[in-house]
Amino acid sequence: MASISVKNVVKQYPDGFQAVNDVSLDIGDGELMILVGPSGCGKSTLLRMIAGLEDITSGELLIGGEPANDKAPRDRNLAMVFQNYALYPHLSVYENIAFPLRLNGKFSDDEIRSKVEEAADTLELRDHLERKPSQLSGGQRQRVAMGRAIVRQAEAFLFDEPLSNLDAKLRGQMRTEISRLQRRLGITTVYVTHDQTEAMTLGDRVAVLRKGVLQQVASPRELYQRPVNLFVAGFIGSPPMNFVPAEIEGRKVSLPFVSFEVAQEVADRFGDRQLLIAGIRPEHFEDAALVDATSQSIPFSAHVDVTEWLGNELFAYIPFETSSEIHERLKTLARELDSESLRTQLVVALDAGSRIEPGKEAKLVFDASKMHFFDPVSGENLTRELAAVAS
Amino acid sequence: MKQRHGWATVVGAILIIAWAMAPVVWILSLSFKAGDDINNNRFWPTRLSLENYETVFNTPLFTSGLRNSIGIALISTVLSVAIATVAAYAIARLDFPGKRTVLSIALAIAMFPAVSLVGPLFNIWRTVGLYDTWLGLIIPYMSFTLPLSLWTLSAFFREIPWEMEEAAQMDGATAWQAFRKVIVPLAAPGVFTAAILAFFFAWNDFVFAISLTSTDAARPVPAALAFFTGASQFQRPAGAISAASIVVTIPVIVLVLLFQKRIVAGLTNGAVKG
Repeated sequence: MASISVKNVVKQYPDGFQAVNDVSLDIGDGELMILVGPSGCGKSTLLRMIAGLEDITSGELLIGGEPANDKAPRDRNLAMVFQNYALYPHLSVYENIAFPLRLNGKFSDDEIRSKVEEAADTLELRDHLERKPSQLSGGQRQRVAMGRAIVRQAEAFLFDEPLSNLDAKLRGQMRTEISRLQRRLGITTVYVTHDQTEAMTLGDRVAVLRKGVLQQVASPRELYQRPVNLFVAGFIGSPPMNFVPAEIEGRKVSLPFVSFEVAQEVADRFGDRQLLIAGIRPEHFEDAALVDATSQSIPFSAHVDVTEWLGNELFAYIPFETSSEIHERLKTLARELDSESLRTQLVVALDAGSRIEPGKEAKLVFDASKMHFFDPVSGENLTRELAAVAS
Repeated sequence: MKQRHGWATVVGAILIIAWAMAPVVWILSLSFKAGDDINNNRFWPTRLSLENYETVFNTPLFTSGLRNSIGIALISTVLSVAIATVAAYAIARLDFPGKRTVLSIALAIAMFPAVSLVGPLFNIWRTVGLYDTWLGLIIPYMSFTLPLSLWTLSAFFREIPWEMEEAAQMDGATAWQAFRKVIVPLAAPGVFTAAILAFFFAWNDFVFAISLTSTDAARPVPAALAFFTGASQFQRPAGAISAASIVVTIPVIVLVLLFQKRIVAGLTNGAVKG
């Protein structure tokens, strides 16, 4: 068990492309750190540099306090679970798990047997030990890959999108299995995923990457409630945060569907800017008929385009008008976040008991205290410190 | 409709098999015809006789030819496949300048007509002292079997996902251990395919066999058959030659049947998702 320290690490390919750009990360002993981001953000490259499967162009990597830049993968004593499992097809499950133990000849056959059986029991693979990988289901193969990793008592585990090849239901089950396992074994783990649900549920801390640059490293709660910029705010949370243009005049904020005044301390953050991007999450809207107004709730009425009733909540889609400049900005952002929303519309999540109907005007409220304001050029969250972290 | 289609297929299949097997069956029947029976103008022998087989095995020409063939073909095959396996691994996995050149040159060498090499090679071998030796035949044979094995094996190695070696590296294996324990078992079908192809070529070659040998020190079977005589100088040796041919074909058939089981498709099923 060891801590992993990544200091100013850069990965540059011969053609000049920088896959990882000056990333620094400290992963504590026993911590589960998630690396998350859209495709091509450099998270897998970073993981492979930690593993030793890619060279580090510049920067330092410390494993357990020791510099590890030039160590071969086998000398780093790390265990990796690949996205495609990479099981040895010509060996049985038992031999697959025993493979790392047989390599250095340090263990006797009896010791190997007891270690493999212990790992198999943890992962409920006891009945499958004599079968070949081709005879197993996806979830079972995944567990064999994990068995191969845990049997070695490595210093840290590296997971490279292990659940992305499983169907949704199995993914949910395996997620809790991995969480339980990591907590039980207490081994430092670095976990790469593009799925923000996995990131939010599994991680002690989550590192959000974008185009090789680290955006924010924080607990899931912190990322959700106090995102540092537009990208993180839009990436974390499903359905994603709504972004609307906000015109500023002193303390008055004008959104496409309503205008209201903000507190002075909020207005102070705006500086001289006249146009900002306001972000507010779908769940901070509500049907006006169902809630009592508080000092922070701003009522407005809007035309509802489409509704989706899911049983536990009601999604309503509200289109709005915006300037072309902001429209372009939001489109670029949507592409980067791999989201499909091309229309400028609000997504609001209302209580399932709401009677709001599609194609009609509706009276809604939203909680102004939960709104974030972003600089439209840099994407920086201007009101981050003011956001309350709910206990 | 379906039945008529099936009936036509069966008839077609029988015709094709008959067409392919007719010469072989003819040689088989010839081999069982004793002495002048080959002139009997009938397909089948008047009576079955093993006389030709006895003649063949009592001819030192043939038995030494058999010995030479087996030895030379086996050595060529084993050497080619061993070298090609390691070379194909490097070509499939590493990126070095001249990688494509190596493969293209290998192909060019294999396509070179053997006949044009015979003249110069005859002179060189006589000067160097390799004429009429096993090594004198193994080297030209490898000039074809090595590129052939290289091509076959690099295609197989390319099919094996790179993650296999990465996983082995993460598990603590050295490059050699990863190669030996993970890649070679997975490449076994390729190795056996390459071995069969190499063996066929070395076994059946006639051009080099007849030009680069003069005594039964190194003369393989295809060349030896050309020097066959019958029981007396007045008999055509067709019967003996047929018997010898049948004897020579048997090891090849055995090898194919043996190796066919080894070339198991889908060996890598289940290793990698998708």
